[in-house]
Amino acid sequence: MTIATTLAPAAPSTGMSLTRLLSLAIAELRSGLGGFAVFVACVALGVAVITGVGALSDAMRSGFERQGEVLLGGDATLARPHQRATSPERDWIASRGAISETATLRAMARRTDASEQALVELKGIDDAYPLAGELKLASGGLSRAAVSERPGVLDGPGAAIEPILLERLQLKLGDRMQLGRTEVVIRAVIEAEPDKISDRMTFGPRVFVSLPTLETTGLVEPGSLVRWRYAVKLTQGSAESQLLSFRDAVKAALPDAGFTIADRRDPSPQVTRTLERLRQFLTLIGLTALLVGGVGIANAVATYIDRRRRVIATFKSLGASSQQIFLLHLVQVVGIALLGVAIGIAVGLTLPPILDALIGDALPVRGQLTIRPMTLLLAATYGLLVALLFTLWPLGRAGEIRAAVLFRDEVAPGSAWPRWPVIVGTLATALALVGLAVATSESKKLALWFCLGLLGTFALFLGLGSGLTWLARRLPRPRRPELALALGSIGAPGGLTRAVVLSLGSGLSLLVAVALVDAAIVDELDSRLPKNSPNFFVLDIPKAEYDGFAALVKQKAPDAHVNHAPMLRGRLVRIGDTPVESLKPPPEASWVLRGDRGLTYADEVPEGSKVVKGEWWPKGYQGEPLVSFEADLARLLGMKIGDQVTVNVLGRNITARIANLREVRWESLAINFVLVFSPNTLADAPHNLLATIALPKSVPIAEEAALAREIGRAYPAVTAIRVKDAINSFHAVFTRIMRAVRAAGGVTLLAGALVLAGALATAQRRRIKQAVIVKVLGGTRRQVMTSHALEYLLLAVATAALALVLGSLSAWAVLARIMEVPFVFSGRAVAQALGVALALVLALGGLGTWRVLRTPSVPQLRSE
Amino acid sequence: MQKTATPDPTRKPLISLEHVGLTLSSRAGAVEILRDVSIVVPDGQSVAVVGPSGSGKTSLLMVVAGLEQATRGRVEVAGHDFSALNEDQLARARGGAIGIVFQSFHLVPTMTALENVALPLELRGDRGAREAAAVILDDVGLGPRVDHFPAQLSGGEQQRVALARALVSRPRLLLADEPTGNLDGATGRQVIDLLFGLRSRHNATLVLVTHDEALARRCERVVRMADGRIVADVRGEAVRA
Repeated sequence: MTIATTLAPAAPSTGMSLTRLLSLAIAELRSGLGGFAVFVACVALGVAVITGVGALSDAMRSGFERQGEVLLGGDATLARPHQRATSPERDWIASRGAISETATLRAMARRTDASEQALVELKGIDDAYPLAGELKLASGGLSRAAVSERPGVLDGPGAAIEPILLERLQLKLGDRMQLGRTEVVIRAVIEAEPDKISDRMTFGPRVFVSLPTLETTGLVEPGSLVRWRYAVKLTQGSAESQLLSFRDAVKAALPDAGFTIADRRDPSPQVTRTLERLRQFLTLIGLTALLVGGVGIANAVATYIDRRRRVIATFKSLGASSQQIFLLHLVQVVGIALLGVAIGIAVGLTLPPILDALIGDALPVRGQLTIRPMTLLLAATYGLLVALLFTLWPLGRAGEIRAAVLFRDEVAPGSAWPRWPVIVGTLATALALVGLAVATSESKKLALWFCLGLLGTFALFLGLGSGLTWLARRLPRPRRPELALALGSIGAPGGLTRAVVLSLGSGLSLLVAVALVDAAIVDELDSRLPKNSPNFFVLDIPKAEYDGFAALVKQKAPDAHVNHAPMLRGRLVRIGDTPVESLKPPPEASWVLRGDRGLTYADEVPEGSKVVKGEWWPKGYQGEPLVSFEADLARLLGMKIGDQVTVNVLGRNITARIANLREVRWESLAINFVLVFSPNTLADAPHNLLATIALPKSVPIAEEAALAREIGRAYPAVTAIRVKDAINSFHAVFTRIMRAVRAAGGVTLLAGALVLAGALATAQRRRIKQAVIVKVLGGTRRQVMTSHALEYLLLAVATAALALVLGSLSAWAVLARIMEVPFVFSGRAVAQALGVALALVLALGGLGTWRVLRTPSVPQLRSE
Repeated sequence: MQKTATPDPTRKPLISLEHVGLTLSSRAGAVEILRDVSIVVPDGQSVAVVGPSGSGKTSLLMVVAGLEQATRGRVEVAGHDFSALNEDQLARARGGAIGIVFQSFHLVPTMTALENVALPLELRGDRGAREAAAVILDDVGLGPRVDHFPAQLSGGEQQRVALARALVSRPRLLLADEPTGNLDGATGRQVIDLLFGLRSRHNATLVLVTHDEALARRCERVVRMADGRIVADVRGEAVRA
């Protein structure tokens, strides 16, 4: 039975059953999926990225959940700054299960001859450490023996260190090094630390000592920036309900202790949040790749429909309605999209094991392949929605093809609009896509802006494509035939113009934006530091020793500018009457409410900040406790002057009223804090000072290092962080992030390349015919090649130019609005955009031209 | 039996094919398209090539145009030995001496009528190409439509543009492959009248491939082909007999 006879009885517009429609659609696809390779590849690529990112995130989360106890060092932990647990607190915690106590702080490790020193992350551990997992030492053996504080047997208190520290201090196993006032023997090298991820971000290599050794260093004094942490292995068991009841019990028994509680379900909320944000960001990039691929999908469907004009006309002549034609092709397209989705999901699921094999050690946790239905559903939904978005329109036009085509073939197909339900359907699909992207993102506003930006970018590149076509048709034709042919092709209705600009435009814009943001940040870090930016931040200077410290600095570096401020750490516990746990802050402000923050007090407005609302308190103020809050964060948290803020400092809740809001220029690198209290609020709490040392720019690096050594020698308990080192650390992290973003942007370009390849394949027949005519008329292969090269060059340059403008605008918006860094134009970014555009277009186009020139002329010239 | 016309000693030969063979490979094996074809066409003569479908008419035309290279024998057209030229040299030789009209017109869809007609001259670097194209388009009655794209022209108009394009470089040889095959009777007749008129004005040699016996009889000579061979070659009064 032929298709025509199958269809004939079902002529009435609503008379065809779904089964019949399906069987007809399948029969119609018997000729194969040849023209749909790009369609399938475009859907598969985008879905693979979204699935891969989701599966990787699922694997990590699953890893966290399964290894949570080891990563946390117990079932739950209680942590707070400054103050060690009191005996009653300790007893209470110990009553709930086995307990291990650790203390972490930043400190300087020095060679005993003081010739070298390095910033380290020092961790004091007790005999019970670790409650879960194992502290692996390169030499094997027990961590307790390595860090034993008992002298005599093992020649003094011991330390286990990360191998990089041996290199930095030029020491070897068995050597001694200075920690504060104590010399320790390096007894072991650390291979793996079980609960590293649950500690805060670390800057220096880890050094383990026993808690009694830590006490002898003099680094832990009242006011020192120490974080005390208590891991518990609960006797009652660690099911979710038991963990929740433990949390409630802590809040009830130790309400004002100021502990931050974590449990094994989420050992590092910070890492979890970072992973979640990365997943959301990369999903949006995957969506961009899908949307770019959408251009290829639309092209493939339009070409398919065009090829089938006569078949559709035959259907119409047999009585098929527009609706039936539309549904028949919709079923086919959805079927093909599902194939792309299936391939994409299969490829995406291979990403976690591949990444685990390649860079598993660098990931925060070993992933465990887990397939979560939601991840697959999300990827499949994105894939199908994008496929629908880009196919409804051409399918709608298919329904409008008239039976008259059979008798009078139109040379150029008209641009009939589809019927209104198809237009409404297309708009609804677009809205559903934006809705899904926004609904699944933590930062709704950011996702919405991203979608709007993407829409704007597409609209602009669509405009560029139409503009170029319009211009090429109207420009007076040059007499040089190669250029005339190139302009003719750019202006041709079924030409490559729209495909090139749309497929490469978004990817290139992203690339330019990333390159410019990168350039501006690097420039900011390298050359735009404020003139009087400090060379050192010095932590933990005891109040009583500050004068001596300042005098020493003045003596060694008379031109140095030394500044100082009191520094404590505390945790925001309430805003007004609302506990911070009950607040739902926007993501960009939520960090203020998490964990402990640096706090200070001051008589005068700190350097580098300005009161923008309210009044600063008078000198010697003795009234109710007052606080000054950073203006932007106050706005984001919905706080205003007069509101009450409660912080927990040293296990005591202190409530203060917001007296004023400050604008802080963080980039000045002057000492600054989100919360600055009136002196009468905090002055009596034990605390140390934080100081900055700014040296004239003329001071050579050797003198800078010598000053640090002098300070270390005279004040072994203080920690000096070199600003340049901190910036370098940030630089390294930033470079890695930018590399990941570039790689993600590369996927968009890959999608663009796929679309371009598809468009070239579609245009190939027309291009071959044109080349043959040119050759018949006496044109050489060189002239054909030149005309193609000119066409590609013009399109690539125009696309790169708009991408530069859009990329620069996006980079400016990100830099000015989010990062507050001045925009810097970079010639490298321009070269990169042009280079990539030219390379892609010329490479793919060149391949097409090569095939054009290889095609024999005669078969093309014989009558069709 | 193959009947061969006696060459006209008063005119120099423009086309000379000696024992030409053309074999093409296909999935089913080698296919012999032309077999031992020999023909001499003097300058200025009009020749119709007739024969059933698949007899090798169009292939013969393609070999004469230098678009297909003979696998055997010698092909000399307008003083060029086609067997010794590469693709680009053939293109240049064609550009100067041969104009071709196809059944499917083969106009460049992205160029206007004027640009299509000027193209062969522009490809040779002729600075007066546009002016020459405008004149010949006027000759074929398309003066007012020079800025129209092929898609905006009727089939007959497209074929007139193709004819103008074939003749704009004043070729010595005009090749036409079923030029009325895609046109209705009346339009076809107009185009043929134009073709013969222009051919005489330009004094070009014409090789016309056609199914139409009546049309063939308008030529001075008729070559009949079957199965890749010339099976009859008649001229003069015998054509109309």
